[in-house]
Amino acid sequence: MKKYKIIGVMALLLMLASLVITSCSSDNKEVSSDESVVIEFWHNYDAGAGQVEVLEKLIKEFEAENKDIQVKPVYLEWEALKNNVVSGAATGSLPDVLRGDIAFVPQFQSLNVLEEMSALSDYKDAASGILEAPNSTAKIDNIFYGIAANTNTKILFYNKTKLQGANIKVPKTLDELWEAALNVSDSKTIGMVEPWTGIWNVGPYIWSEGGDVLSPDNSTAEGYINGTVAVKVIQKLADLYEVKALAGPSMDPGAVGDTDGWASGTYALQLDGPWRENLNIDAGVDYGAIPLPAGSNGSISVLGGEDFMMFKSSSDAQKKASWEFIKFMTGKHAQVEMAKVGQMPVNKEALSDPEAIKAIPLLPVFSEALKSAKSRPVTARWSEMENIIATKVAEAITGVKEVKKALDEAAVEIDKLISESK
Amino acid sequence: MISIVKKKSTRKTDWRVYILLIPGLLFVATFTFYPIVKMLVMSFFNWRIGYQQVSDFVGLANYKDVLSDQIARRALMNTVAYAVVTVPLQMIFGLFVAVLINGIKKFSISFRLAYYLPVITSWVVVALLFRYIFNNQGLLNYFLTDVLKVVNEPIGWLSTRWSAIFVAMLLGIWKGIGWNMVIFLAALQSVPKEYYEAASLDGLNNRQQFFYITLPSIRGTILFALVMLSIGAFNTYTPIAVLTGGNPAHQTEVVLTWMYFQTFNAMGKMGYSAALSIIIAAVIMLVTVLMFITLSRKKED
Repeated sequence: MKKYKIIGVMALLLMLASLVITSCSSDNKEVSSDESVVIEFWHNYDAGAGQVEVLEKLIKEFEAENKDIQVKPVYLEWEALKNNVVSGAATGSLPDVLRGDIAFVPQFQSLNVLEEMSALSDYKDAASGILEAPNSTAKIDNIFYGIAANTNTKILFYNKTKLQGANIKVPKTLDELWEAALNVSDSKTIGMVEPWTGIWNVGPYIWSEGGDVLSPDNSTAEGYINGTVAVKVIQKLADLYEVKALAGPSMDPGAVGDTDGWASGTYALQLDGPWRENLNIDAGVDYGAIPLPAGSNGSISVLGGEDFMMFKSSSDAQKKASWEFIKFMTGKHAQVEMAKVGQMPVNKEALSDPEAIKAIPLLPVFSEALKSAKSRPVTARWSEMENIIATKVAEAITGVKEVKKALDEAAVEIDKLISESK
Repeated sequence: MISIVKKKSTRKTDWRVYILLIPGLLFVATFTFYPIVKMLVMSFFNWRIGYQQVSDFVGLANYKDVLSDQIARRALMNTVAYAVVTVPLQMIFGLFVAVLINGIKKFSISFRLAYYLPVITSWVVVALLFRYIFNNQGLLNYFLTDVLKVVNEPIGWLSTRWSAIFVAMLLGIWKGIGWNMVIFLAALQSVPKEYYEAASLDGLNNRQQFFYITLPSIRGTILFALVMLSIGAFNTYTPIAVLTGGNPAHQTEVVLTWMYFQTFNAMGKMGYSAALSIIIAAVIMLVTVLMFITLSRKKED
């Protein structure tokens, strides 16, 4: 808390300072005053990881290249970022550019504050340099309300010592993964861990087997979350849970958390994001990582990450400047710099850049997974829907309810939400 | 003496009293009464956060939502179970310890201190300790499987609904004994010694003395403890939040943890949570009134 307070105070001081500086400078530079555009940039880059420092350096470079544009960065916590846009939707005090969670795009779009980015003449050119899957997180009804800023996805981490000890090969298919989880489990080992039961966790398995959560146009869950594929996949997880080959604190509050469990050698397999790499290095785990083993429909993991967004409330000049800034930030140079402080690039060239790979050794594995990774449904009340799914899937896995019954209930509740929001 | 009393009663209430009262009243009005009224209002709306967001009046829909919500009902059941088990047991153990301490001459302060320590330790800290004890790989399972070897596999104390709530109850009782002890000790010391002297002359043994003299004499304190603890039990939050977080699948949710989830984890269902709070407040009020009526009636008998 204290840290956030300090960051908050610093952000405030920074804002004040930049206000003073910008007001002074606009007084001084009389010649360029009508050409100089100031854009406000809200973000939640992690100061602790050194990302804010890199951002400041990048802004200086950008301003040096574009003498008529000034970027005013404002740090806000995740929650504050969301709340300020929600309240700003009413007062009009919105930023010109925002870099925030992919889940914000549908939420903000439903507030009618986001600029339609795909209407820009060179949006296509800019987007072509970027991985398609992460960029799909900004797409609603074939219109892009943003562009990917950085991404992450989940890959399969495995404990080498455990698998070798049990004489198990690294799984190549989903079926082999379930098999491996089962066989590596013994009195001291639980094959797999899933910290939660939302689509972030079970989605990749369902997608890889050819199922889905909602219909392609997000109009219903009936026949998807309770379809044969989803039922089969959740049943598999329930079977694993029953024989203690799968665990996780949201299914069993007595289970060891994933990070502690990896460190103590309790868990052998987990589909997880880039953060697992450093955590495992810190814990001294001898681990390997591969993209999610393929199911009958291929290997489809889940997308995380952030997008850049622009706002309707900005002036035309600000919009133009904002777009220049976004193009700069999604360019190779900025993306590589951000990769060095832990942000996984979306820029195709940056993904294969040796410096970026040096900073994130598993980058090639993630790049591979990103090619086919899928975003969770981009729809306004998604977080409510995912909560429903998490509850019902947990009931199914722990055996409180039959799998089909639990997922049928989930479909009914989600369809109710969909009909309410229409 | 008499004249003073007379003077006091004839004196008109000074207007300055009101001025002195204003800051306190304002404070309570702003931070207690206003929020309560506001919450009552919110419970009739589909309340949205944010400035220009329009909140629609939905009448009793939120109340209907709460009452038809399986998880809310389960949470209420869990809360009632928690109250029914922890309140009497805390009181019985607290009274028992108080009677023991009241009977000894030496070390009474050290015992009082020892029993009071759990009360002043932080809920979060002890709840975390309980989690480490009752985890699948926790201390208790370690003793049962590896040291005593009475079971082959670790027992999932926190894994299912009732066993997890049982652990929370255990925590609640353990932590509550000290408070009850202090309250009952004070009550016991106010019972006149003459009663006991007369009783032993009449040939009552210790047990009879306890039931015929001690208990009736501290009836007021019992009622007080009962009401306070019942309200406290309905407001339990930390043990569940830390031990299970309401998992698995909201099975172990109590009303407050569920309210928190609906307000802050799900997408801000403010109206729903307001309705739930009003319902809980009504339940607590009803329970309290019933307790007062039944216990004071006994007194008349």
